Order: sequence, then structure tokens, then C-alpha cells
Amino acid sequence: MSERDQASQETPAADAIRSPSRRAFLKGVAGAGAAVSLVKVAWAEGEFGYWAKDLPNERLTEMFTTIVRIRWHERTMADKMLTDPNYRGYNHFYAGQEAVAVGVCSALRNKGPFEEIDLVYSTHRPTGHAIAKGIDMKRMAAENHFRATGINKGYGGEMHLADKSIGFMGADGMIGPGHVIATGSAFAIRARGSKQVVVVFGGDGTYATPHFHAALNNSALLRLPFIYVLENNLYHQYAHYSYSCPMKDIADAARTYRIPGVVVDGQDVMQVYNAAKTAVDRARAGEGPTLIEAKTYRYYNHWGAPGAKPGELGAFGYDPLAISSFRPEREVREWMARDPVDICRNVLISWGVLDRARADAIEAAAKKEAVEAFAWADKQPFCKPEDGLKNVFVEGTVPARQLA
Amino acid sequence: MARKSWMYSVLEAVQYEMRQDKNMVWIFELTPPVASTPGKPVINLEKEFGRTRVVNTGIDEMWMAACTLGAGLAGSKAVTYIPYQGNCMCFQIIQNHAGKLRHMTGGMAEMPIVYILEMTGQTPGFAGQHSDYEIDTYYAHIPGVKTVVPSTPADAKGMMVSAIRDPNPVVYLYPAGLRELMEEVPDDQYQTPLDKAAVRTTGSDITIVGSGGGMPEVLKATDRLVKEGMKVETIDLRCLKPMDTETLVKSVQKTKRLLTVDQSYYTLCPGAEVIARCAENVDGARFKRVAFPDAPPPAAPEMFLWMRPNADHVVAAAKKLVG
Repeated sequence: MSERDQASQETPAADAIRSPSRRAFLKGVAGAGAAVSLVKVAWAEGEFGYWAKDLPNERLTEMFTTIVRIRWHERTMADKMLTDPNYRGYNHFYAGQEAVAVGVCSALRNKGPFEEIDLVYSTHRPTGHAIAKGIDMKRMAAENHFRATGINKGYGGEMHLADKSIGFMGADGMIGPGHVIATGSAFAIRARGSKQVVVVFGGDGTYATPHFHAALNNSALLRLPFIYVLENNLYHQYAHYSYSCPMKDIADAARTYRIPGVVVDGQDVMQVYNAAKTAVDRARAGEGPTLIEAKTYRYYNHWGAPGAKPGELGAFGYDPLAISSFRPEREVREWMARDPVDICRNVLISWGVLDRARADAIEAAAKKEAVEAFAWADKQPFCKPEDGLKNVFVEGTVPARQLA
Repeated sequence: MARKSWMYSVLEAVQYEMRQDKNMVWIFELTPPVASTPGKPVINLEKEFGRTRVVNTGIDEMWMAACTLGAGLAGSKAVTYIPYQGNCMCFQIIQNHAGKLRHMTGGMAEMPIVYILEMTGQTPGFAGQHSDYEIDTYYAHIPGVKTVVPSTPADAKGMMVSAIRDPNPVVYLYPAGLRELMEEVPDDQYQTPLDKAAVRTTGSDITIVGSGGGMPEVLKATDRLVKEGMKVETIDLRCLKPMDTETLVKSVQKTKRLLTVDQSYYTLCPGAEVIARCAENVDGARFKRVAFPDAPPPAAPEMFLWMRPNADHVVAAAKKLVG
């Protein structure tokens, strides 16, 4: 455990938070983790440390705040989709997976010049990653609503959300190519020696793609500062991941490429953070890539809100699109019983970082922020039709070809 | 005879062929081969033929395309259904392998295979990657592969039967926006040729040529123009390769005016090929292309719907050409 002590010494606020009660709680968490056998190191060059204990209270509070901001963004968006006939968004919900985005992005550099911050490549389920990286929720809501003041000016919508200023390189509607593209950014970073790290988020479905293997193989061969965060929420689109991967733990794939492959409990933000911090340190030190598999779950179906009710969390029952393999309600309930919001909240209350009143206040503020973001988005101007001819090339517009 | 959707019509054709040929296989992801229609039994290929012949794969369209090709080379009829988000992931296999193997092997390679490639381009808001319609141009360009794009459930069934029975690789484009279309479709198995355009209305003032997902708007425009007294010959291209030059040229020889309508990008859209063939064969005709601009489809409905050719655009272009 010398690595942990060393890290503690490097953290100025470490002494302040190393209370006996937190130590005692850690033991309890470790025991619980072993009991559900979700937390384990599948294959790694040594263990990863429990870095989260060394974070100052304000950083820990920020993690909880971001988790509830994502949660209420998703819930507000689901309600919007269910109740507002004028809402035109096409959304994939991230609720249930919040701890993954927050745990990973909390270990990254998110503020500063573009040449210094860490880069994140996201998926078709991007809103949680975007918020965790620091996107402006209002402008994201406007984009999801196809407004001219949206973060992509209405050109992209949810599956192409991007904000270069925070290193959020973009959502990607395709499964696979984004991962290989992300290794290209890592390649450039290694070549110029800028000490940035590139994270790509992907789902369990990506294992089947050739891109997954191309990303890991090439990043391993070139020792790129690259972290593959595979969010295994059990389903790719509508099929269980056993349709596309012969292993229980996809992280086992890392063994093939001689890189660390780590399985973490994706519902526990501290576990995710610990694994991410280890991977980030390793990448920044020039030691190459890591594959992190976060076991998690989406509370809604693949896209849209079939089976969901206004004001209620989660979607249950039959999704007409999920003919081959739909999710039993018991499975959804079982995962919801290990909720990332509750886990983070309980940990921080047990550590004495938050009390119940403060946690409630943070959550109330997050809810208010989300409601206001969507209300703001509703009032934003629509796009001008002819602007569709812009942004094809750097310069000018292309001709309209649909007109007589 | 019953009213059937596009997918029901197609799966009815496939079900019949799979019952006749015990070696035939079907490979899919995302979209299960299941369809129902009022008053008819539910078709579920996975259930009926089992998971050895009907396979739900991971998200790997390259594998789906290559597996289909390999099955064909080994002597089995094979069909794969590739959803719209992956319809270019399989391009290499179709363009550089399926399209060339017969030629490269001096006629030895057998490829009784069908690639059902879903295209979208219908739903605003999907944006960029999920709104593309341009694959008609890409796949029609490949030698050695027949590329068709039916626009009605009845054609969808007949052309699927022909595609499965055809010994060549067939790219069978499926404009997903037409999935709501319903019409009377015969229960019996029948074939619709893979090299004939369909003349939907006859007239002598103008020839309007469309295809696939654009046809409903083209037909709407035709109705409006006919009501205003214009004699419109509207042709549903259906087959991009081989293209039915004869029907096209015969029509334009009569009308001397040709308007093509595409949801594909303007540059090299199928209509460009139609115009080129008619220009080579008809003297003194006038031509006009209406197509999606050479820009990726934007998310915002205001932009997307303005850019995608619709009945208003077709009516205006036809009037300009005739007037």
C-alpha cells in the first residue's frame, strides 16, 4: 500500500480527510464489494489504489453534485419526452450509469487551454459524459431541442453533441469507429509530448466490432495515453451482451494486448474514480493504455422512453423494439436497488463530507438547474433553413440543389 | 391477398424461400426478422428456422457482410439485414470482394446472396450519421453487384424473391421511411424483375424519375401536376444497376423533358446517371435534377426538411421545365 501513502503525501488536503471513521468505512465498503463480487481486478499490473479517500471534501462534494445533475437532467428529459408534445428530442438516457462518467471525468483535466486538457470521446448515449466533462447544460438542452443556440448550433442533436473547449470531442452515433479515432488523438499527444490523456467511452456492444480490437492493439503497441472505458450495461441496443461477447468480463480482452484490464463496480463512483486515476497516472507517465470495464445498467430502454412514466425513474416492461431480448422488470429493479446516487450519497454522509440536509439541498438545486435548462432551451430560436448549407467546408456555403 | 407492410411482405418472401431451401441462412443485428399484419400469422424467422440458420449477431456489419459472402461462396443462399447505422461499414466487403470475385475467378465464384441495406433520410433530428441516404449512389457504382431500391410493399416482396433466386450478389436497399406503407400484396410467391423500371403514370409533357424513399413525394407532386392539367410520365427507377435505359429513353423521346428527383446528394446522384443515359440517346431534350444538396443532413428539422426534396420542389421544377 506504499503507492497510496505516496499519493496521500502529494495531496495537500489529504491529512484533513484521513479521519478514522473514513478508514473504518473503507473496510466496510471493501467487504460489501467482495460480497457482491462485482469489484475485482481482472488482470492488472498491480492493484489500483483507493485514491478517492485522498480527495478534498469539495472535490467529493462536486462528484456527488455532478451525479445528481446528470440524474435530474435525464429525468427532466424523460419527462419532457413523455409529456411535452412539442419536444422533438431524440434521446438515449444515461440514468443509472452516472457514476461511470463522473468517476472517470473526475480523474481528468477538464479546464484550461485545449492543448493541455484531457480529451473525451463519447457515444450515442452522451449526456452524462458531457455533463461530467463540464458542458453547459442549457446549451446542451437547446441542442437536443435542435435550436440555433444549441452547443452544435442545431446541426448535431444528441448523438453528435460536442464541446471542444472542455475537451468533449463529441458523441458518436456509430459503434466502433470513434474508439479508433480516439487513439489517433492519443497518438498525436504522444508525438507532441503534451501529457494529455484520451478517454473513450464505449458500451458492451463495442467488443464485437473490429474497431475495439484495433483501438486496443494499436494503443498497446504504441503505448498511447489512451483509456478505454467500457460501460457494460448488459445490453447493446436490444440484445444482451452475451450475443456479442463470449466472456463474462470484457476486461479479460486486455490480456490479449498485454495491457491492464480492470473490472469495476460502475454503480460506485469511488471505485470508478480509483480505477480511472490509476489509468490516468499510468497514461500520463507514458506507460500506455488501460481498459476499464464498468459494470453498470441503464434504467431506460435503448432509446426513448417506452415503458417510462412521467415523474418516475426508470422504464419497465415490454419495449416493442426489443423483440429478441428484452429486460425483465426484476433485473431493472435489482440494479436500481444499487443506485449510483444513493451509493455516493451514503458514502459521503458516512465519511462526514455531507450531511443529509446538504445532500438534499444539492439534489434540489440540481433538479432546479435541469428544469431551468430545458425551459431555457424551449425559448431558444429555431434554426434558419438555409444555414443547412453552411459548415460543409471551412469556407462558404454549398449550393441549394433541391430548389427549382 | 391482404394489406401488408413492407417488412411483412419481405419476410413473407424470405420465409417461403427458406422453407424451400433448408440451407438458406439469415444474419441480423438490431432488427429481428419478425413482422405481423392484421389477419395474418406473425412471421418470426428466428423462431421458425432456429438460431443456427437465423443469427442475431453483435454490432459488426463487416462480419455480417463477409459472413454472408462466405456462406454464398460455400454454396448456401444467404441474406443479411444491415440497419442504417452500419450500411457503409460493410462497403469494403461488397465493393472489393463480392463485386469482383466472380470476375477475378474467371466465373468460378458463386454468390447467391442478398444484402438488405437499410437507409434512412426520412426522420428529421437523427442528424448526420443516422440520416444519410447517399448509399444508393455508392452501391450502384459497384460492378458485379446488382443494386435495387423498391418503393412499395408489393415490389419489395417480388424483388426480394428475385434477389434471393438471383445467382449474383444483390444489394437490396430498404428506405426505412417507407416502413409505414401498407398495400394489398399477393400471398403467393411471385417475382419482380431486377432490371426494369416501373412506369407509374403515363404522359407526354414531362418525364419525372424518382426512386426509393423519394417516391411518395414524387407521386404526390405528380397528382398535383396532373390535376393542373400537365401530362406527367412518372417513373419509379427501382433498379439502379442494371439501370433500365430502354424505358427511360423511350419516355424522354416522347416527352423531351426529364426531371430527376433524389434524396441522395446532388453530385453523382442516381438522377445524374439517368440524365446522362437519356442525353446520350435523345436529341433536343431538356433536363433538370432535384436532389439533396452536397451537405451532410443537419439535425434541426428546419434545416433538414428545407433541404430534402419534397413535392413542392418537384412541382416547381416541373413547371419551370415545362413552362
